[in-house]
Amino acid sequence: MLGTWILALFLLKAAEGKEVCFERLGCFSDDLPWSGTTERPVYKLPWDPKKIDIHFHLYTRENQNDPQEVFPADVSTIESSNFNASRITRFIVHGFIDRGEESWLSDMCERMLSVEDVNCICVGWKRGARCQYTQASNNVRVVGAEIAYFIKVLMEEYDYSPADVHIIGHSLGAHVAGEAGKRQPGIGRITGLDPAQPYFQGTPAEVRLDKSDAEFVDVIHTDTAPTIPNLGFGMSPAVGHLDFYPNGGKQMPGCGKNPVSQIIDLDGIWEGTRDFMACNHLRSYKYYSDSIIYPDGFLGYSCASYELFESGNCFPCPKEGCPNMGHYADKFKGKIDSGFLKLYLNTGEAKDFPLWRYKVTVTLSGKSKVKGYVNIALYGSDGNTRQHRIFKGTLRPSNTYTGFIDAEVDVGTVTKVKFLWNNHQINPTFPKIGAETITVQSGQNGTEYHFCGSEDVREDVLQTLTPC
Amino acid sequence: DTGELCLQSAQCKSSCCHRTSGLSLARCAPKAAEFQECSPKSLYGVYYKCPCESGLSCDVDKTIVGSITNSDFGTC
Repeated sequence: MLGTWILALFLLKAAEGKEVCFERLGCFSDDLPWSGTTERPVYKLPWDPKKIDIHFHLYTRENQNDPQEVFPADVSTIESSNFNASRITRFIVHGFIDRGEESWLSDMCERMLSVEDVNCICVGWKRGARCQYTQASNNVRVVGAEIAYFIKVLMEEYDYSPADVHIIGHSLGAHVAGEAGKRQPGIGRITGLDPAQPYFQGTPAEVRLDKSDAEFVDVIHTDTAPTIPNLGFGMSPAVGHLDFYPNGGKQMPGCGKNPVSQIIDLDGIWEGTRDFMACNHLRSYKYYSDSIIYPDGFLGYSCASYELFESGNCFPCPKEGCPNMGHYADKFKGKIDSGFLKLYLNTGEAKDFPLWRYKVTVTLSGKSKVKGYVNIALYGSDGNTRQHRIFKGTLRPSNTYTGFIDAEVDVGTVTKVKFLWNNHQINPTFPKIGAETITVQSGQNGTEYHFCGSEDVREDVLQTLTPC
Repeated sequence: DTGELCLQSAQCKSSCCHRTSGLSLARCAPKAAEFQECSPKSLYGVYYKCPCESGLSCDVDKTIVGSITNSDFGTC
């Protein structure tokens, strides 16, 4: 009897909904859809902003290495800083467990400042992020409100346009950006770096990051496997104007290493431990960071699925070009019609991550058929690639084989091609096979380069083909 | 796979176990492409510069000291 009463009391309490209010930021309730749904079963109210301990660290070209702390509630701190209202402002927000002092945030600012003159603000909410996940995912709302308030102050004090604001959020930080965009309409751009999946995937648009939160929303998905049972931390549905799924979005190359090799990382034990815990999830900001200095190294091919992209159905880029994943995605702002655009590409397995995709078509010459594989290396005005395997199986003379190369260097104009075949077997008849013609097509602009060969070669011997 | 720790080149798919200095840990690395720095095949099993990809040879002046200290470098 007592038990049912207690249960009834709980239900009553839940049905009423609780609310907390904070100075400047307004009130937050745990009503639907914030709690009590299948996606968000645990009732939690966000913490006080003082308890979350939100910090804004400003980096500009005048102070690239020592950040200045600014407080939105105190305009004098902004006035005395290097903040310049004539520049674009980019906020970088971290996610669960992370902190604003983590080096990836300041490194990203440093890279941006090397290519453009911006106000780069790292948003830290360490204490609010280092608690139970259910609590942290509700603290997101307060952090978002604080950023929205910051932008409001800029509008009032400097006549600053929200269209000049870009918020980059990783994991829970992506939803922080979404919340800020909801509270302050007209923000120019939000970039979601693998937005967090638990407590957000499947919820209404007002809870999570959505394309309605800013004029332009681009998302990079790198860890979209279900949280249960695969421990994927990122959202899989497309939520922005442009949604990039590098390497298919589920499993990133370089993240399948054995634990010892993963933890003892080239960038140190701390970086390695982070990757051990969430390698796929953290790849999203590494790709973004690399995209700042390799604008054309992350072209996204619009395709129905990753499998179709891999089999070459969505190659090359259309006439208007492929959207750039990462920093330069906003080149495509306004060029996209309604609906969701899913884009696929491959990346490298360690830094540097950019790759340039080429299609290679080889017509073989020779007398006998053999089993083996075909390797191709591209040589161009700006360098040459490694040998890439484009086909494995039975090699028949005068047949044509097609494959794709994700080249680790941008070779520029292709000037020659080298062909090599091998089967790792000693064949006493020493068969000879050559490439009669090779066509190389660049994915970036669709340009085709034709090459001809005149000889056949033994296995493991390089054949050079010249333009024709 | 590339990036994994190794003791011997035979452990690696690329068959190059690479380390940057005598004190650093060795990891599997891809073989050297044309025009990149390389070292000839050695008996040590661990390289400071990976040998070349198939079809290429490492163009290098071999010296006795170099082959003992595994520091004969050339280009593919």
